[in-house]
Amino acid sequence: MTRAARNGFGLTLGLAALVVLLALASLMVGPARLSPGDTLAGLFSPDSPAGIIVREIRLPRTLLAVLIGGTLGLSGAALQGLLRNPLAEPALFGAPQAAAAAAACVIAFGLFGATSFAVPVAGIAGALVSIGGLVTIAGRRASLTVTMLAGLAFASFAGAMTALILNVAPNPYTALEIAFWLLGSLEDRSADHLLIAVPFFVASWILLGLNARAFRVLTLGEDAAASLGVAIDRVRLMVVIGVALGVGAAVAVAGSIGFVGLVAPHLVRRAVGSDPAKLCLPAALAGAALLTAADIAVRLVPAAIELKVGVVTALIGVPFFLLMIFSERGQLEGAPT
Amino acid sequence: MNRLCAENLSVRLGGNMVVAQANLALEAGQLIALVGPNGAGKTTLVRALAGLIPADGVVTVDGQKLATLTAAERARKIAYLPQGHSFHWPVTAEAIVALGRYPHADLFSGLSAADSDAVCRAMIATGTDALAQRIVTTLSGGERARVALARALATEAPTLLADEPTASLDPRHQLVVMELLRHAARAGGTVLAIVHDLTLAARFADRVIVMERGHIVADGAPDDALSVRRMADVFGVEAVVVEIDGRRLPMAQRPI
Repeated sequence: MTRAARNGFGLTLGLAALVVLLALASLMVGPARLSPGDTLAGLFSPDSPAGIIVREIRLPRTLLAVLIGGTLGLSGAALQGLLRNPLAEPALFGAPQAAAAAAACVIAFGLFGATSFAVPVAGIAGALVSIGGLVTIAGRRASLTVTMLAGLAFASFAGAMTALILNVAPNPYTALEIAFWLLGSLEDRSADHLLIAVPFFVASWILLGLNARAFRVLTLGEDAAASLGVAIDRVRLMVVIGVALGVGAAVAVAGSIGFVGLVAPHLVRRAVGSDPAKLCLPAALAGAALLTAADIAVRLVPAAIELKVGVVTALIGVPFFLLMIFSERGQLEGAPT
Repeated sequence: MNRLCAENLSVRLGGNMVVAQANLALEAGQLIALVGPNGAGKTTLVRALAGLIPADGVVTVDGQKLATLTAAERARKIAYLPQGHSFHWPVTAEAIVALGRYPHADLFSGLSAADSDAVCRAMIATGTDALAQRIVTTLSGGERARVALARALATEAPTLLADEPTASLDPRHQLVVMELLRHAARAGGTVLAIVHDLTLAARFADRVIVMERGHIVADGAPDDALSVRRMADVFGVEAVVVEIDGRRLPMAQRPI
């Protein structure tokens, strides 16, 4: 094994352990003070008071943090691999914005609160509509530039729709509810949210994971990759759909959580190396760890209103990111685009 | 034996006929140079032969229509080295060369012993074995060109289509690469290389194909294909012919 491969393997194991530890910690944090022992006991006794708190309130929230963070990290790594550009991030093709607009619409005009079951359903439908529109308009064999431009148009349109909904919201409380929801939060999410989102996450992981080796070959550029047998059109379609499903479902259940998808691949790239295939799993784990840590932080910080996790991911992630940029200035500037 | 054949191959790009009714048959065991002025359609012809762009007409490889092969089958039969050899991520030279084995791998397996051997052979042949652990984005242009060639050779496909494999190489490495391509041909391969240095083409190629404005205007022994008359007509240069080691080599003197 080369050094990078050994580092990558060690880092992957370390990150997996970190995610498990953070998930356990996340189960122990909340307004009801439960000792670590009671928490673990509650996990296996559904009918005790501690069991109800841990299993029905904290467990769905923790699992959502891990799964959403992982999906965002994987989506970021996959898009950076597909586009061969470290600036790519999951919001690029407009699916999260469309999910947000659809969810905002339901909160504003439906009879549903921000944590209702109808919100994620609408969000996922919004993401699917935007992706369907993107693929139809750009065409199945569209070039990357056309796909990205069309994605940008869809993202801008969805952003404008969200702004319009805020603008014409029936009353200020609704507008505030939507605005807070858009900041991204895992508060009060139930097992129903988990159940509706998980199939989309799994579909997204499969679609993206199947193309990991193609990302590696794309290091040579599209022409050489195509000559080596990579079906570029199919890879592009699968990745766009995979990202839309995963990130669309993430936004649908938790609101907009930015930054994790962009930064997670960067956090692990130095240890794992730049191989876009080997980056996928560590980037997913880094995303899961980052979001779970952020969601613990929002519950520990004393505040009258609970901080939104979408706010905190950037607050936690940016210092790491700046440190990484600072220590890798040379390599980042030397890397060809 | 004809390995790669094109019949009435035409390619339109943005409404322009870039390759018009090209007919050619590439034999095993030959190094064939494809030459022509800038914009003659050389790269487009090679990409169409590699099955990378849609084209009218028929391309066959070993008697089978190219369009009927799966992407992996095609990739195992035809290796293609694009112009410019860019690498988008800072990975090691060895990792780049190993990508040449992609058509031979299945979804879940890593590099087999046969794959590693092929990578090793390609790196030794191109003199890049000493660079194996270097990060490709830190290599010089010439070193990158040789790593890219090693990647194309590592596939060990019977046919190699190389777009300007000697561009950005110093004189010594130009000779090394041309000898390498000729050696690959002698070993039974079919090698088509786009070459801009006509002297180099005449010196190493068994056969020269000349393109002008999308048409193949000459196809034959270097002597005939690169005559003084054709150098004037097609390339617009006044040439002299010098004889070295029994080969007649054209040298461009001045523009006409």
